Amino acid sequence: MKGIVKTYYLGTPNELEILHGIDLDVYDGEFLSIVGASGSGKSTLMNILGALDRPTSGRFFLDHLPMEDVKDEGLSKIRNKKIGFVFQNFNLIPRSSALSNVALPMLYGGKSRSERNLRAKELLKLVGMEDRSHHRPNELSGGQKQRVAIARSMANDPAIILADEPTGALDTHTGRMVMDIFHRLHQEQGKTIILITHNNELALETQRTIKLLDGAIIENRMNGKNQLEGCYESF
Amino acid sequence: MNLFENIRLALEGLRANKMRALLTMLGIIIGIASVMAISTLGSAMTGSVSSTMDKIGGKNIMVSLTPKNYDTQSTLQPEDYITQEELDGFKETHADQIKAISLSTGMGSGQLNSGYIHKDVSITGASTDYSLVNNVNMVQGRFISNRDMESSRNVIIIDTTLRNKMVGINGDPIGMDVSVETKTTTETYTIIGVYEKLVIDNPLFNMGDDTRVECFIPITTAMSLNSGSAATPPGYENFTIMATADTDSASFAAITKDYFSKKMGALSDYTVDVQSMEAMVSEATTMLSTLSLGISVIAGISLLVGGIGVMNIMLVSVTERTKEIGIRKALGARNSAIRSQFIIEAIIICLIGGLIGVALGAGLGSLGSTLLKFPTTPPLVPMIIALCFSMAIGVFFGYYPANKAAKLNPIDALRYE
Repeated sequence: MKGIVKTYYLGTPNELEILHGIDLDVYDGEFLSIVGASGSGKSTLMNILGALDRPTSGRFFLDHLPMEDVKDEGLSKIRNKKIGFVFQNFNLIPRSSALSNVALPMLYGGKSRSERNLRAKELLKLVGMEDRSHHRPNELSGGQKQRVAIARSMANDPAIILADEPTGALDTHTGRMVMDIFHRLHQEQGKTIILITHNNELALETQRTIKLLDGAIIENRMNGKNQLEGCYESF
Repeated sequence: MNLFENIRLALEGLRANKMRALLTMLGIIIGIASVMAISTLGSAMTGSVSSTMDKIGGKNIMVSLTPKNYDTQSTLQPEDYITQEELDGFKETHADQIKAISLSTGMGSGQLNSGYIHKDVSITGASTDYSLVNNVNMVQGRFISNRDMESSRNVIIIDTTLRNKMVGINGDPIGMDVSVETKTTTETYTIIGVYEKLVIDNPLFNMGDDTRVECFIPITTAMSLNSGSAATPPGYENFTIMATADTDSASFAAITKDYFSKKMGALSDYTVDVQSMEAMVSEATTMLSTLSLGISVIAGISLLVGGIGVMNIMLVSVTERTKEIGIRKALGARNSAIRSQFIIEAIIICLIGGLIGVALGAGLGSLGSTLLKFPTTPPLVPMIIALCFSMAIGVFFGYYPANKAAKLNPIDALRYE
């Protein structure tokens, strides 16, 4: 992914403008955080970044591909192949086991059953959940659920991981563990990670922080190298 | 997203909500079960009717002289009777359509005495062809011959039960003399044959529980006895024609009616009544199929209601699983994948309902046909049609909810609590 350039206005039918023209480039392999108070437009921005929604106006390139030219089915494919979602409230399918949850994106990606199960097991091992693969989400703790969700986001080896408040529903300790996994994915696998949070401390761990206020970027700051190094040492 | 995965997903979903799934299926189960039961019973009945007809003679045409008006006291005049000459003439004219003509006359009941054995019997005077037309199954000796008829011999055919009583199962009663006591006469007859009683074990043709043994004597003998002191009647009141296999008995019945009506004077109190067995069978079959159609319509309504129930539960399910749909879409499920997931779920509900219905209906139908004394294996074609139809209901009533699910906006669906 080389760069995303976009400027857009998002309006609902009664012309409520949530994002007032945002220009943003995200670089391949970057660990970016987006912070802002609730109502600042973080989630809306994430929906557009995650190809779940389209901007009302403005242009959005993903991998040089202008998204306005992509049809709905194409957006599904992009979500499936290029983007991994991690949500605040995990969003696991309650009836399915951890393994099936992780395998689900591969199912929609057209992988064979044996391929899916093999990869899902690998991914669960990566997040340290291999011994819980047959448990259902309601038999797992919050931290465990989020680890399964992260494993799921990695299923089709996407370029970008979009994490919307991934630690928001977790205590400090498990939140720390989840953040460590993100750092590892960024470092070891070179994933582009976009972390949306309202926790400034977590944002400082990332390479760059975008601050949103009332639908506009008010700050675009590179985080200090020392801080980054310090955080790497911590795991 | 392959079919197998969708089926697995659907079964998973149904397992999570067993009671609800069963209640949803109920309409389909009842509808399919009643269609299956009716078609099984229907085929049992049709089979039963035609097999019984074969036994009692499917090609038979019954001719009888009946009063035009039952209210007035009418008596047969000597010229009304159908004479042997007229019968012979008719038989000659239509030689290639008539296989046999059977004559019979009831002589009422009497007591058969042989040594220490006394048995109530009913005596029927019969002609030579009676055994052919009425499927009399001779096991010993012979039936009435033309010579017996010509000389009005005192010979008698008894049935196996009577033989067993007289001489035992392996005994030979041929040539033995028995005396038969009726209201008016007591005659001695020589046994010339033994027949086995035709058992029509069919509740649809309940001929009444006649436990009396029927014995046959030559009709000429019977008629001379019947008339007592008066003159022997000049002809017959009724007879049965057995048409050849390739004769259309309905049209031949009309020809027969015409032929014998001509001889009846316009002034006669009597008319010729002709009934063909085939016509009676087709009447019964028509009645059965009308009945089946009526019940099928009711079953169709049940299926419609069942289908609406499926649609309703699918709509509930889509609403309940809005968030799940959102998650699936965020993970890259295409609209078509979501749509087929829900349609297949609806099809699975209907198919399982259909399977239960087919099993239930076939079971009930078989039970019913066993009670009708005509056990049938449930017909395969209606079974396949029923299953295909239930799947079609699934597609038809599942499409709308599935499409609704497929069209959900992923963001709204994800936000749904």
